[in-house]
Amino acid sequence: MDLLLSAAQVALSPAALLAVVLGCLLGVVFGAIPGLTFTVAMALVVPMSFSLDTAPAIGLLLGTYIGGMTGGSVSAILLGIPGTPSAAATVLDGYALTRRGKASLALGTAVVASAFGGLVSLVVMVVSVDLVARIAMQFGPAETFGLLIFGLSTICGLSQKSLTKGLIAGVLGLLIMTIGIDEMEGVQRLTFGTIVMQQGISLLVAMIALFAVPHVIDAFVQYYSNKKQLNASADVRAELPSLKDLGRDFWLMLRCAILGTGIGAIPGTGGPIAAFLAYAHAQKSSKTPEKFGKGEMAGVVAPETANNAVTGGAMIPLLSLGIPGDPATAILLSGLLIHGLIPGPMLFIQNPGEIYQIYLAIIVAYIAVVFIQLLGIRFFVQLLRVPAHLLAVGIVIMCGYGAFAIRNSVFDVVSVAILGALSYGLARVGIPLTPIILGLVLGPSIEREFRTAMILSDNNLDIFYTSIPAAFFIGLSILIVGLQVVRSMRGPFKSSMTETESDASVQPK
Amino acid sequence: MTRNGDLVAGIALLIFGIAWTVTVYLTVPTGYGVGPRVFPLWLGIALSALSLLLLFNSFKPEASIDENTNAESSDSGKAPSLWLQFRTLVTVCGTIAVYGYLMQAIGFVPSTVLVVAFTLFVTLKERRPLVLLGMSFGLAFGAWFAFGKILGAYMPPGTLISIF
Repeated sequence: MDLLLSAAQVALSPAALLAVVLGCLLGVVFGAIPGLTFTVAMALVVPMSFSLDTAPAIGLLLGTYIGGMTGGSVSAILLGIPGTPSAAATVLDGYALTRRGKASLALGTAVVASAFGGLVSLVVMVVSVDLVARIAMQFGPAETFGLLIFGLSTICGLSQKSLTKGLIAGVLGLLIMTIGIDEMEGVQRLTFGTIVMQQGISLLVAMIALFAVPHVIDAFVQYYSNKKQLNASADVRAELPSLKDLGRDFWLMLRCAILGTGIGAIPGTGGPIAAFLAYAHAQKSSKTPEKFGKGEMAGVVAPETANNAVTGGAMIPLLSLGIPGDPATAILLSGLLIHGLIPGPMLFIQNPGEIYQIYLAIIVAYIAVVFIQLLGIRFFVQLLRVPAHLLAVGIVIMCGYGAFAIRNSVFDVVSVAILGALSYGLARVGIPLTPIILGLVLGPSIEREFRTAMILSDNNLDIFYTSIPAAFFIGLSILIVGLQVVRSMRGPFKSSMTETESDASVQPK
Repeated sequence: MTRNGDLVAGIALLIFGIAWTVTVYLTVPTGYGVGPRVFPLWLGIALSALSLLLLFNSFKPEASIDENTNAESSDSGKAPSLWLQFRTLVTVCGTIAVYGYLMQAIGFVPSTVLVVAFTLFVTLKERRPLVLLGMSFGLAFGAWFAFGKILGAYMPPGTLISIF
């Protein structure tokens, strides 16, 4: 209890609250503007959090994550274009409601459903995350290696259209992270004798390059191609649903929140699949399924509850095992690492206070998001009118300064430029960018745990199949990859999971 | 995604994979047991093998894959030309790289004003004075205030000239 109170003192300090609100605002803005995903916002926000204390930094990152997840519904409802892939299912009935003149009510309902989904998932997360961490605490290097390989196997779900390309992307991510000084033996690897390369490629440099630079290039290309921009009506506000309406949809929201949390807890899934499953569930369980797609409010409630519940679900493997399930949580993971918090079982022993701060920051973020959306909806509508290429100019500045701020080094800015160009090239030939991030994040841990396990077993591979958890996770990973290989051999590979936030803006041509 | 795209990507990645593997083999010592060489070496080999697979797949008939992608392309109208994409890529990435050097040399605010003005005027052919001045100075001072003053982040003052 004392720990909770002292965490509350820090997490509810003016600086931390301001950071959460600022993060939510950024997240909602980036999430609301189609193509400008909140993953881009998170990649740009991490370097900005360097100068902050841990609590405000956590608040800023979580606020951006949660704000972004809810913000996608704004353009989905008003323009019929999902601000984020997670809001794609919201378009079906949200935009139909706008055409029927119920945009304000749809926006208000979406906000309430989002907050409900997020808070329910938080409760589930608090209950389960500690349990998962306690189990994981029994793990040695072999078991942890198995677990990380299982996390890496989610590349299959993030591979979009081609498994080969997804695997190439994952290998590229793993490969990049081997550059620099080997942490176990202190040997230089591919540094070519230069001092700057000894530190290796900064994770943040890679993230800015992978997420933000291709977006800017794409925005400029679209501008040159004279693509028309859709404008939202300025005469819109967010209108809260009545208690009667909320009561009617309560059980649906609860079911969708649990569904979203469960989906979010599986690495490699994410908001879009949760939203579409919830939408299908709402339609199936409705007495009037024929009204779906024509402006049914339950068609907004279900996906918005589920996609926000994913946030709490995704935090379960992230905090308890250190496995990010999607690009946004991968960036969140890197942000936590920078501030000295190492997600995984030991986090609960070494940083219990910060765990409570994370829980409180999530609660504050959802409350802030409700107020921001209700009060600021007219502002967001105006923002949707700002041409994408002008917003992209601002992102150029954030890319440059964000990279510079990492180590006050021009080398990092130039690295962003080079890696950004390569990222755009990879995206154009259809190689997904998200598995690269997964490789970048998990790569060093995979190598460290494998080598430690091999040292413990005197270089005998037995250790990986004599341990039941290790064999289970490795077997599960082989099964996942094997099934996807079989599927791709039978016909065109279609991702069973999700089109990810990051790759949404740059489509292969 | 065209077959040609897969072909080019496959060749480029194969060359990179082989170069990587050879460089690792020649420059990284083996060490004890699973030493520092093992992971980068096997990753290089894996990349080369996957690139070969991509290359092999690129010779398959076009209709067998990526029907969805073709549909997307046709939905979104005429795809931007490769030259336009390349030109934009060079401009954007060049601007970011130059911005890094400028930031160090003349400081955050002046370099940001210059880079935004350049991007708007030269790259985006923006000619409205209000937009040019408003965005250049607005972004520079807005970012300086938000990051430097509110978040307390380090703002490079400039080694050649220092205004802020």
